[in-house]
Amino acid sequence: MKDLKHLLYFENLLLEANNELVAQAKKDNKVCVAFTCESVPEPLLNLEGTFSVRLRAPRTGSMEMSTYYMTSFLCEYTRALLERALEGGFNFADCVISPDGCSMMNRCVENMELLKTMNKDKDKFFYEFMEIPMKCDENGLNLYILQCRNHILKPLSETFGIDTSEKALRKAVEEHNRICELIRAIGDFRKEENPRITGYEFHILTLATYVAPHYLLIDKLEETLEELKTREPDAVNPYRVRVVLTGSEIDDMDYVKLVESCGAYVCADRFCLGSLPGRVPIELNDDDDILTQVCRHYITHSQCPRYMNMPKMTGRRDYINELAKEYNADGIIYEQVKFCDPWAYEKMVGGRVLEDDYNYPVLTVDRPYSIDSGAGQMRTRVQAFVESIEIKKLQRGGING
Amino acid sequence: MAKKIGSEALGRFYKEGSKVRTRREWRGVKDTAYDFSRWLVIMGTLGKFIIKPRNMKAMLRYRWMANYLAVPMMVDRHTQGLRGEYLRMCHAEQDLIIDDVAKLLDKLFKGDRRIGNDEEFSKKVVLVDENEMTAVMMGFPMLETLSRETPSTYVPVLLNQHSMEYYMDIAEEFGLAPDVCPMPEAEAGVSINDDAPVLGACAIQCNTTCDGSLLGNGVISKRLELEDGIPVFQLAAPLRHREDDVQEYAAQEIRNAIAFIEKHTGAKWDWDAYFECAKRVNLATRCRQEWLDMNKTDYPQVFGSNLALYTETNYMAICGRVPAFAKVDRKLTKLAEKAYKKKKMMAKEYRHRAIIWGVQSHYYFDFLLWLLNCWGIVPLTDMLSMVSTKEIAEVDTPENREQAYYDMAWLTENMIMRNRTHGGYKVLLDELWDFVEEFNADMVILWEHMSCKALDGMHGMFEDRAREKGINLVWVEHDLFDPRIISRQGVRDQINNYMRTVMREEPIDPSLEVLPDDQSW
Amino acid sequence: MCKKCKCCSKLPWWSKLLIATTGIFGLLFTVYFFNLDMKLTAMMEPWLLKWYDHVDRDKHL
Repeated sequence: MKDLKHLLYFENLLLEANNELVAQAKKDNKVCVAFTCESVPEPLLNLEGTFSVRLRAPRTGSMEMSTYYMTSFLCEYTRALLERALEGGFNFADCVISPDGCSMMNRCVENMELLKTMNKDKDKFFYEFMEIPMKCDENGLNLYILQCRNHILKPLSETFGIDTSEKALRKAVEEHNRICELIRAIGDFRKEENPRITGYEFHILTLATYVAPHYLLIDKLEETLEELKTREPDAVNPYRVRVVLTGSEIDDMDYVKLVESCGAYVCADRFCLGSLPGRVPIELNDDDDILTQVCRHYITHSQCPRYMNMPKMTGRRDYINELAKEYNADGIIYEQVKFCDPWAYEKMVGGRVLEDDYNYPVLTVDRPYSIDSGAGQMRTRVQAFVESIEIKKLQRGGING
Repeated sequence: MAKKIGSEALGRFYKEGSKVRTRREWRGVKDTAYDFSRWLVIMGTLGKFIIKPRNMKAMLRYRWMANYLAVPMMVDRHTQGLRGEYLRMCHAEQDLIIDDVAKLLDKLFKGDRRIGNDEEFSKKVVLVDENEMTAVMMGFPMLETLSRETPSTYVPVLLNQHSMEYYMDIAEEFGLAPDVCPMPEAEAGVSINDDAPVLGACAIQCNTTCDGSLLGNGVISKRLELEDGIPVFQLAAPLRHREDDVQEYAAQEIRNAIAFIEKHTGAKWDWDAYFECAKRVNLATRCRQEWLDMNKTDYPQVFGSNLALYTETNYMAICGRVPAFAKVDRKLTKLAEKAYKKKKMMAKEYRHRAIIWGVQSHYYFDFLLWLLNCWGIVPLTDMLSMVSTKEIAEVDTPENREQAYYDMAWLTENMIMRNRTHGGYKVLLDELWDFVEEFNADMVILWEHMSCKALDGMHGMFEDRAREKGINLVWVEHDLFDPRIISRQGVRDQINNYMRTVMREEPIDPSLEVLPDDQSW
Repeated sequence: MCKKCKCCSKLPWWSKLLIATTGIFGLLFTVYFFNLDMKLTAMMEPWLLKWYDHVDRDKHL
């Protein structure tokens, strides 16, 4: 296929946490709100005068300093973030808002705070820790609203004078939805039998929307969408099977590339920092206040395994099944970053349920934060999985799920 | 062999390759006679339990029941080297706990569909997690609050260090990553292996202690609710428990849990019963505070496993609901005051005063006594005993009825261990050094449970602070329920090496330095 | 108690009780002190574990 015009641009953007668009927005005197987890509602961080950046640590090499502070028993994502913070790689941030979601992320940000990694010369810098609901119910929603008010809107307003009025929130949601609609429209091309966009390309575009200011991305995303409308796919589909990739965070550009290089087309990205459900537009009504609607959207759509009420637990597996049907997937890959407790359990149960109850071929893997250090093993696992799906398809006459 | 403390080399009771010891201690006529009488009582308790046909049936059905063969040995481990008041304190606690667990087992098997299948009884049963404050049951005296995980997972590993290996392997066989905490892993393994009693009108699960518990509960409830048909309420206790803006949420969770129980059992919340329990909770708090205050002096009295194991049981599992524990609280206080007045010591020599921090290894709970007997390190208090010191409302008034929901929520959030591993670094890191000062400790023994990410994540900061304050910080790594990763001797060697190389000391009882207890219960 | 021994039959009931009690006490104390109870149960454990391997279970998630 012909290369997408802006793909290289987006790839280069993702090589650095402090990318050129972040630098541009800082020059525009915008406040950079760093966050670490999908449970922090993004629209609330992208108000007039602010922009959000989901922290990631591209091209992470050694993590010796962070391993000293956090030990090698904790997930590499969190250690990579702390390492990058210690190196000064996140000094562009003006504040950090983190949920007390998983213990590891919480400790990562607490270490950042205690070691004064980002706030040495910044008087106004703040760290906020939010309580995040663990159940999708009325009580959980009320908590979420209060926490967002106390730990996002209030500090932004009091510290940086950011307008957090109803009007400002509505505008932020509308802008957020624009990005989501663009990403979803681009993502819909993945449903095609011979898709005109690879899973890798799509991941790059989606990832960019988490780590760069939206207002500086929109033009290029719109151009990319237009370009895709007329893009011709390869004459012969290079992929042998289609998979839903689900699990913990994936901010490593090379991971999806590796999976696809083994012949497995990533048709749906149900992982943290993916589009499902991270880029589902928020439907607004005129009845409830915006904050409530935003929180309701996040609490309802979240697929994080820490949601522990039964409908949410069974709902996560149902969701994978729905995605597999919608995107015509042949199999499911459940991945987790090494030492991630929530996804360790979810991978175990979800993998079994999708296999036994929904009859999908399932591959469960754990992976290092940066796939460089485990590429060979991962390639072997995925290749074997692709072959097993092909054999099953032959045996079943091409029917799965 | 003698009455005097430290007169017997305690290591001599161990034999290479043996599960059990060669013999019991001679503690002088009086203390040996006392210990013997308590052994008879324990035998009586166990005998009364196993003589019931349904309990024998359960013994033959549930693999984890085999560990209860080792009950007297658990008591022996915790009474090593003890004399006088300390021996009596330990027995007062242990014997009550044994009796309580025996009753719990008896009731579980009574209602268990596979064993007693008493349906009428089962309708009155509310299942609770092991890692859950039972505060929400304080107003339901007409119901039976039973935990399946306590007797199947938690207690066995106190009895037999190898007890949970089988279940952890089962969970890993089903695809669970081995780096997760062994406690929820073993609980999940019991459920997967179809080794959990099936009974109850409903169940209350809680996200305490941690992510592992939260997620392991999902594995358990999948079977419990979707297959066994027992409705489950997930009680979400906020993590940021010191913040004001989570307390309303927490209280509402309690209200919702109570409503759930009422709906599924037909029982009504009893405020009289609640405030009676509240009084006992406050008594336990005051007693514990008094023991801790004594421990701050030169003559600590209630410490080591006398403090740790009892606090875990009384504070969390009992939570004021059982009057017998209030009696024991008073008895312990009386014994402690008596010994304190005489300036008595639990061991031959006290060389160091230590705060034990972190999550302790369950397969080596008597480590605290070993520290004392081998190296003269007095474990003044431990992280799991530094629980809530707040007294809750205990008088029945309309205002206090409203306050009660917040109190129950507070207790639930401040569950053992959880109140420190979650809630921010202040409760885990900063407050440790406050306690070091308060207790006049010169040493911190820091249990590094390698699967406890909440704790491990502060490793470097603990080191930095210990260095700043000039406190000896001794790391002791372990994997909670799995002695295959680090054995008991592996745990001891970490202390041995530190004491010899850094502190340049010789052990008080050299026979304890290396013990051949790999195969031991 | 020896049936043939006349001295035994002449003993009052309380002394017979005392002898029996002392005997039982001695036996129990021997079991206690030499840890014979635990030694016995330690021997039982392997058989019990083998038994459990044969119990039918519905093993699944």
